[in-house]
Amino acid sequence: MKPLYLFLLLCATTICSQAQDEGEAWKEPSKESRAYHTYRNYMSEPSYGKLKILGLLKKLTPDEDDNEKLKQSDYLSLTLREKFTYHMMHGESYSQNCDARPPIQDEHKKIFGRLPEMFGENNWSERQVQFLRSNKDSVMQWIKECVAKEKRLGLNLKHAIVDINAREMIPFLISTYKTDKKDHDILTVLMLLMKNNEYKEFMVSTSNKKLYGDEINSYDAFLNFNIPNEELIIKRATDFYNGLPK
Amino acid sequence: MGFQNSIILTGIIVVLLHTMAGQAQDGGDFVTIPKGQYTVGKKGHVLNPFRRVRVDSFRIATRETTNAQFDAFIKATGYVTDAERKHDALVYKPVLQEFEWFNDSTASWRYPNGMIRGGIENKMAHPVTSISYSDILVYCRWAGVRLPSLDEWEIACRAGTTTDFSFGNDTALLSKYANTWHGKDHLMPDSTDGYLFTSPTGSFAPNAWGLYDMYGNVFEFCSGKLKAYPSPTVAHARGGSWWCSPNSCHFFNSYDIGRTNIHASFSNQGFRVVK
Repeated sequence: MKPLYLFLLLCATTICSQAQDEGEAWKEPSKESRAYHTYRNYMSEPSYGKLKILGLLKKLTPDEDDNEKLKQSDYLSLTLREKFTYHMMHGESYSQNCDARPPIQDEHKKIFGRLPEMFGENNWSERQVQFLRSNKDSVMQWIKECVAKEKRLGLNLKHAIVDINAREMIPFLISTYKTDKKDHDILTVLMLLMKNNEYKEFMVSTSNKKLYGDEINSYDAFLNFNIPNEELIIKRATDFYNGLPK
Repeated sequence: MGFQNSIILTGIIVVLLHTMAGQAQDGGDFVTIPKGQYTVGKKGHVLNPFRRVRVDSFRIATRETTNAQFDAFIKATGYVTDAERKHDALVYKPVLQEFEWFNDSTASWRYPNGMIRGGIENKMAHPVTSISYSDILVYCRWAGVRLPSLDEWEIACRAGTTTDFSFGNDTALLSKYANTWHGKDHLMPDSTDGYLFTSPTGSFAPNAWGLYDMYGNVFEFCSGKLKAYPSPTVAHARGGSWWCSPNSCHFFNSYDIGRTNIHASFSNQGFRVVK
């Protein structure tokens, strides 16, 4: 009877193991975590010609080709400020094939290496990015005006700051962060500026290795949010800014 | 003893049958996946939770659809792809930041990364790219085939496993099975595995069921929708691509499911078919 007993035991073990695997429930992030997720995905809506832009966006109702790009004539008729509003509210190009990120546990306790996506399956087109880069000084000013009005630095504004490499805005970013120290993605912007400009002190740091190292998926990588990490990022960014050619 | 022996023998047969169930057979261009119940998903994955699914038998291509096959379709039908009509294919060129793609008006399936980076004359055995999901549906109707469903693709990819890859959980082994991006970022071109862009289908090791390039080379579009993305303009693709690196799109695995616009054409998106 021993061989039969072993066989039955083997089957029972296998079934038990499968049941455990399949029975493991997905843990929902905490209420605080979900609230912060909503908070950090806030998109600013610049007021320059906002109603006009909203009207034009309604005209963009996808045709059979799902065109999402404003006609050149309509685009050229916009003022510079209106173009800025349009770009902050709409991505003209397709996003690459990327998955939706699973819910993040304790999102509010993390400083991420990258910003969340802005427009789902869409992104800024080249003409949009080119506009932002070509009008860098104005864009930085409009961002400041937008923040002054909304008391928030929306996700789209953060992406714009990184895309135009607005390292001149570091003091503004730090002061905005310090108003309530709630928006950890501002710290992410500071680190992206240091990384993209290859600031030596940051490039050799443990933070850089942890967030953008060779063997990790940096899209998900994060630092724990705590006072020492917060202060270290701000100090490094300040030193980086102070060392920039004036 | 005779009774005991017959029970033991029966047990062994049951175990063997259980082991064999779900194993693909055939050879050649298609592999038959038997009707049955399979395990898919990953614990904790919001889009693709760990679960059992039941599918009917299906036959899946061992390789991704090639330029030669798509060329035959174009020659037979005169079909004009989305990217050719709209001049909006998105391609890779060096010095792009992570997640940035270049809108090259000269790019299409004939010039997957734009005319300046060459045509497909010597790449007819490579997977076709710079085509949209919408284009692929037309090809499938013409060829009398279809795209795999999201579950069918994963069942074929997993080849009976429940690990992150069909060969286990060790990412270091991926280079044996997949054409992916090995550079730290995309600022500099990377061809350390022998290929900057796509590779001829079947250049890397197959999975246990004889399917090539389930990871890497090109993203493979699947049929079906996810509840999280009910939009009619969203399609889903799986398996990673030559562009995907551990530092950016960490997508070359058995469980992730991507989404993109049905008319978007990227030089790292392709497909394989089922019949």
